[in-house]
Amino acid sequence: MNRPPPSLPPAGEEPRQIYLPNFCSSSAALTIIVICELTALLLALARNDAALGFWSDLGFTSMFLLWIALCGAGLLCMLRDYLARKSVAISAAMVLTIIVGLVVIVSAAAYAYGASATTPYFHWSFLVRNAGIALVVTALTLRYFYVTHEWRHNVELQAKARVHALQARIRPHFLFNSMNTIAALTRSNPARAEEAVQDLADLFRANLSEKRNQISLAEEIDVARTYQRMEQLRLGDRLRVDWKIESLPNDALVPGLTLQPLLENAIYHGIEPLAQGGVVTVTGEFNKGMITIVVRNPLPVANLTVREGNRLALANIKERLELMYGDRATVKSGRYDDQYIVTLRFPFTATPITGTA
Amino acid sequence: MSLRVVIVDDEPPARERLRSMLAEIGDFEVAGVAGNGEEAIDLVDRLTPDVVLLDVRMPGIDGLEVARHLATLPAPPAVIFTTAFDEYALQAFESEAVAYLLKPIRAEKLRAALAKAERLSRTQLQQVAAATNVPAQRTHIGVRGRDGLRLIPIEEVFCFQADQKYTTVKHLKGEDLIEDSLKTLEEEFTANFLRIHRNALVNTKYLERIARDASGQHFVHLRGLPDALEVSRRMAGDLKDRFRI
Repeated sequence: MNRPPPSLPPAGEEPRQIYLPNFCSSSAALTIIVICELTALLLALARNDAALGFWSDLGFTSMFLLWIALCGAGLLCMLRDYLARKSVAISAAMVLTIIVGLVVIVSAAAYAYGASATTPYFHWSFLVRNAGIALVVTALTLRYFYVTHEWRHNVELQAKARVHALQARIRPHFLFNSMNTIAALTRSNPARAEEAVQDLADLFRANLSEKRNQISLAEEIDVARTYQRMEQLRLGDRLRVDWKIESLPNDALVPGLTLQPLLENAIYHGIEPLAQGGVVTVTGEFNKGMITIVVRNPLPVANLTVREGNRLALANIKERLELMYGDRATVKSGRYDDQYIVTLRFPFTATPITGTA
Repeated sequence: MSLRVVIVDDEPPARERLRSMLAEIGDFEVAGVAGNGEEAIDLVDRLTPDVVLLDVRMPGIDGLEVARHLATLPAPPAVIFTTAFDEYALQAFESEAVAYLLKPIRAEKLRAALAKAERLSRTQLQQVAAATNVPAQRTHIGVRGRDGLRLIPIEEVFCFQADQKYTTVKHLKGEDLIEDSLKTLEEEFTANFLRIHRNALVNTKYLERIARDASGQHFVHLRGLPDALEVSRRMAGDLKDRFRI
């Protein structure tokens, strides 16, 4: 099969984003204009130039500032990708040079345009003073951008760490019940007990795995089926799982523990509270490069409130799918009549071929 | 004389394990096995066993509620709870239950719990049962009749009405007398029931309309219940505001 190679960054390593804000957007341009106008107003008020009059002073100052700011923003927008590849010190030095250079050019032009009317200062003094102000203001602003960026980066890291901590948690309820089942089987059916121990080991391995960030869909389905086998021993006929997933591509790339927690929730909230049991349906579709997986479970009447654990697991899956596929991944969940339905949708990307086939 | 035991657990392997452990310990007769709360109550009511091994987490009526219903029986059995992992539940019954066992249950712990149950007299058991007062809301009301203990789902109850001595519960399938006082019922079901009068508690789910007769007395009509219920003056305004009926 010929499929395009995955356009994703390698697992665990994301390109470090530049600390400069994106000057290419229209909202950035608007912000710049507002800041320039406010600064112009401040300067005009402070100067109170009797010769020129308040309104003319305000006009000239804002025109001067806007020229510098918008040209600067334009240049930084064009150079953004180039700057992003440089180290922090080099990109900062380059930005400083660009802005100070720009200020000198615009100042010279402004002086030439209306020296006599606007400025009583000597030509060089005017240029040097403006360059000095530009240097200090730009340096401070860069520092501000850098600190904010570091802070945001930190917050993101913390959020991810929380997600991972959550991920590693297996429901204690499941662990102890499985142990009890195994204890029972050891007497009645030692062969089954042996299988159950192996299944439990596999489940824990999947849960603790370091490379669970990205695995193939086939592997994830396998984990979910192992989980089902474990629960089947315990719940017997009460649990039926209907798999309709033949059309799913086995080599699709998914974050680990995407499907298994959904099955776990469906059984915990949908089947266990029902004395007569019920059916969980897992449906998979592959259409126009998009994969859709739907998990349905009956919703017991006494259990209409969506429990905390369920929401955490869903939020966790959503975060990890979005981390991998961005806006193209969606996770929806809700109650429809007497069923609870969770729908995952994400684009198909083939698993990168690594050492093990 | 060997003790008669009923095993209650919704998971077949768990039941099987307890049964074979009891056989090994000996001196016990497994009188019956139940897979859910309703079955358990019915079985215990009919078989009057000495001991019930009761799983806490079960579909429908859970173990804690089963224990509360069993406590109302004339000859309550000794209840030994079994659970895999239920932190909140453990706290609730730690002091009151005869014992609780953590799954997978150890043979010597089971033996000790059964020995303790054996030592308790009927009177002591009744005291233990009376003290088993888990604050959680029941899902069913137990009614004791000639045919044994019957369960009425709380969502099928229209109202509770207090007489001199008993409380009448009116429900979809008729009416019965129960021993619970209106006050304790009001406290237990405060989420779904409303006190409309000194002697009446109604299920808000069935509220239909409020009417007034010539003398100014307010009445509440419940969906599906033919007779109207008196509303005290104090509650009338409150009812109108809350439900706009």
